[in-house]
Amino acid sequence: MWYIWDLSILLSALSLVIMLFLIARRVLQERRGRAQIDQRRQLHTALIAFTENRDREALKVVLLAVPAGVAIDAGFEFISLLRGEEYDDVLAAFDECGLPALVGKQLEKGNSAERMHAAEMLAALRSENAVASLLSALDRDRSREVRIAAAIALCDLGSLPPLDIALGKVGVAGQRSRRLIELFRRFPPARFEELRDHAARTDAIPFIRAAAIDALAHAAGFHFADFFARATGDQSPEVAAAALRALGLTGHAEAPAILASAMANGDWDVRAAAADAAGRLGLAGLAAPLSALMDDEAWTVRYAAANALRSFGQPGERLLRDIAASEVSRSQRTASLILAEGPAA
Amino acid sequence: MMSDWSHEIVLAASILSWFIIGAGLAQTTIYLLQLIIAAYALSRRPPVARSALLWHRYGDVAPPIALLVPAYNEEVNVVESVHSMLALEYPNFEVIVINDGSKDHTLQRLIEAFKLVKFRRPYEEALAHEPIRGLYSSPMTERLFVVDKENGGKADAQNAGINVCRAPLFCVIDGDSILEPDALMRAAQPFIDDPERTIAVGGTIRIANGSRIEAGRVREIHLSNRLLPLLQVVEYLRAFLMARLAWSRINTLMLVSGAFGMFRRTEVVAVGGFTKGSMGEDLDLVIKLHRHMRDAGRKYRIQFIPEPVCWTEAPETLGVLARQRTRWQRGALECFFRYRSMLFNPRYGRVGFLGFGHILVVDVLGPVAEVLGYILIPAFWLLGILSTEYLLAFTSLIFTYGVCVSVCSLVLEEAELQRFPRARDLAVLTAVAVIENFGYRQLNNFWRVKGWWQYLRGNQGWGEMTRTGLTGAKK
Repeated sequence: MWYIWDLSILLSALSLVIMLFLIARRVLQERRGRAQIDQRRQLHTALIAFTENRDREALKVVLLAVPAGVAIDAGFEFISLLRGEEYDDVLAAFDECGLPALVGKQLEKGNSAERMHAAEMLAALRSENAVASLLSALDRDRSREVRIAAAIALCDLGSLPPLDIALGKVGVAGQRSRRLIELFRRFPPARFEELRDHAARTDAIPFIRAAAIDALAHAAGFHFADFFARATGDQSPEVAAAALRALGLTGHAEAPAILASAMANGDWDVRAAAADAAGRLGLAGLAAPLSALMDDEAWTVRYAAANALRSFGQPGERLLRDIAASEVSRSQRTASLILAEGPAA
Repeated sequence: MMSDWSHEIVLAASILSWFIIGAGLAQTTIYLLQLIIAAYALSRRPPVARSALLWHRYGDVAPPIALLVPAYNEEVNVVESVHSMLALEYPNFEVIVINDGSKDHTLQRLIEAFKLVKFRRPYEEALAHEPIRGLYSSPMTERLFVVDKENGGKADAQNAGINVCRAPLFCVIDGDSILEPDALMRAAQPFIDDPERTIAVGGTIRIANGSRIEAGRVREIHLSNRLLPLLQVVEYLRAFLMARLAWSRINTLMLVSGAFGMFRRTEVVAVGGFTKGSMGEDLDLVIKLHRHMRDAGRKYRIQFIPEPVCWTEAPETLGVLARQRTRWQRGALECFFRYRSMLFNPRYGRVGFLGFGHILVVDVLGPVAEVLGYILIPAFWLLGILSTEYLLAFTSLIFTYGVCVSVCSLVLEEAELQRFPRARDLAVLTAVAVIENFGYRQLNNFWRVKGWWQYLRGNQGWGEMTRTGLTGAKK
């Protein structure tokens, strides 16, 4: 029993000593913090002055006089407000003061939050060695969030490796992140074919394929409509639903037949996407299957079908009113609710 | 004959003492284990300091969120709370206030402040709840909806909100709490990083007593100058930064606070939403989610992340605090016995062993064993039945390990998060972390035993939670 007592005394004394040390550290940090606020203010003033007089030497003096951490943080914040020539001039001054090299070091040695931020800063600083540092992070960093940040930064710099390789380096677990949607949205038009090829790969992760289709639909439009039409028959409901949403944006000559068939799919997400696409494209010829979907077991599908009918204008509203006036059923209830939506009388 | 009796008394006393000390040891071991795991978790996932960075990083891919705010007799605070919620920094969200049949002018205040008009919005009646009397929208902002319904309790109101909301994620928050402007963005992060597996995320609840609050925002963080809120600051720190972070790391988190939690709607609807009439509806929901996902054999994550902060008002009087703690205890017991088949059930893996084991040791047995210990161990020692080393072992488990665990939570907070703005605050909290073990801890255990008693007697009342309101100047 004595060891319980002895250990408790030892542990609580140790915890108190550590806490006292942390309090002392905080006192020092408070003093340093006040100095850093002044330094940030000084740097901001110099940066603002630089945008007016373009005196690079004066800016460099201030940049070199403040601690590197302050220069990097305040500098990055400031350049996000600049565009064009001003932006390039400030970057040149940063480059001459060696800030990108310091950010590169942060990408290697910081904690995961700092490394992610460093990847983003390198993309903004566009230095000579940025691509090499980011490729190294994509290849070797142990955090998947940092690898994704590096991939996005590389994409911004136009140096992302082939998509299959980049995704391989991000790793399987990372390929479930919605951040990859952002990566795909930043893809340059010249590499859209690569996105399409990945979206067509049946061995790829459905979430990623669906994200690639969404990005293509928003960025490339009708150019990939044939591909979207083919993908609506994909085995994965997630991919099929994404392709139907894409088709709803681009349209396609075969859209009525494709959507009618998708409305009979076993997955409710696919049926809802088909109904939604029919509404977007204004395919009034699909009123009959849409009316049938208003009896669907899934509320989301019923709601999408009713909304699609409503988007057809007067003929659709008339149909909804007929259904609402019919015998009590799921369709009748859905139609009544949709017709009543909006400010109460 | 007498000597036989005394032998049996000594034996019984020894067994009882071993049970009490064993329960204390188990509890302390769990706490120390949690500290180690929490320290590891924090080191693996350092916080992002600036919210502007989060917006830049996640703004384009952040999923829509519905903020559900049940309100019952909140006429004093509701308008300011809603203003502060509408000003949250998140690209795509709606605020749904559910007036749960308030007897005061909660609805009227909202109608006047936001020029609400009756509105019809189709929704899926996926969860049962008391009838809705009307839906209201505001011409001033398309983000705000008010659901006016008949009284049915907090869980019932939340279920109505879940039915009405259309976003794939919803966030529950108490009507009298204040979210940090970037709290939604921070809480949504796990849903962005791992959208397929993440089904619930909890954030930190912090105590606002003493801080300067203006226009529904915490402008300056200060510690309260009253002891009771200070004691609760340390308590919350221990609960959130140590226990929840640790269990979250190993996907065994059993509680996402009802005061601030984000959930995926589909899964919550699948488990039937919040259990109406439950004393611990938040704990109940998370247990149901674990059970549902494990039964379905699906991979999932229920996470706690420390950065998103929700400010709340802590009770400042012993009477109110006692009612709150007895209610929490009844909630824990109710959930433990309702889902007892999950305890040590291999089908539920870590949740059954660690999660439920934790509830068994800390919430079910812990308070009873400790209160028994306060009385029996010194008595046995005075009677000469127990040796001094037993007394010292018990004393260390109650006091000195308690000091160590509380101070270590503070160490974690300071080493990784640094959310208390001044060194002086840390010094005050260190002192509080020590003194809370001498009196407050014992009082708390007494309230928990009282909660046990009320649970056994079937007392289902919530008790009145008198609040002075977070709005206004520094208190």
